[in-house]
Amino acid sequence: MSVASTAAYAARRAAQKERVRILYRRALKDTLNWAVHRHLFYEDASNLRERFDANKHVEDLNTIDRLIADGEANYNKWRHPDPYIVPWAPGGSKFTRNPTPPSGIEIVYNYGREDND
Amino acid sequence: MAAVGSALLKHLRLRVQVQAVPRNPSYALSFSAIRRRFFSEDVRGSFLDKSEVADRVISVVKNFQKVTPNANFQSDLGLDSLDTVEIVMALEEEFGFEIPDNEADKINSINLAVDFIASHPQAK
Repeated sequence: MSVASTAAYAARRAAQKERVRILYRRALKDTLNWAVHRHLFYEDASNLRERFDANKHVEDLNTIDRLIADGEANYNKWRHPDPYIVPWAPGGSKFTRNPTPPSGIEIVYNYGREDND
Repeated sequence: MAAVGSALLKHLRLRVQVQAVPRNPSYALSFSAIRRRFFSEDVRGSFLDKSEVADRVISVVKNFQKVTPNANFQSDLGLDSLDTVEIVMALEEEFGFEIPDNEADKINSINLAVDFIASHPQAK
């Protein structure tokens, strides 16, 4: 077993912490998508938090990896088919709707006043 | 109004205590014991004023964590990394935002959050 002072151990733990944070973030957003009413969201969010906290004190690296993999599989199973995305974010409805025109192009406002030869 | 009510209450309590006297074996001892019980505040108990209770509760909650503009979530406010995630999500909802995952991990203090939101053109 690797002792807590090796760099590889620390790097692995840091990577695991990163994965856990991203997983929790996505799971929370998913819960917000699924819960129609806000009070249901609060209950589900606290249940999710308790499930994460139950495994907080696990020390063994391989167990942690397996728990994270299980959590990600669970998340994939429960993903919402139509998640809420902020309109101007990628995947939203306003994304690249009105991009800024490239420089050098200008709009000439002379509709009806052009002289057609 | 409250004073009248509490005075009435004390009077009623007096009555009940007097009727419990005959159960005691020696009258002299019981009488002085009851007199002592009447006049001790901690035995009888008194209800606190409700506004005073509210003020004290609020001051306790306010002094619990030092919420300053420079507070780091984890070291100053004593929050977990999962709590940080929750806070970032709440900020996202509040400002109508979308923060990509890799940048959301870097927000560890109030300063960073303020800078990030202020520098984003679409924060409402």
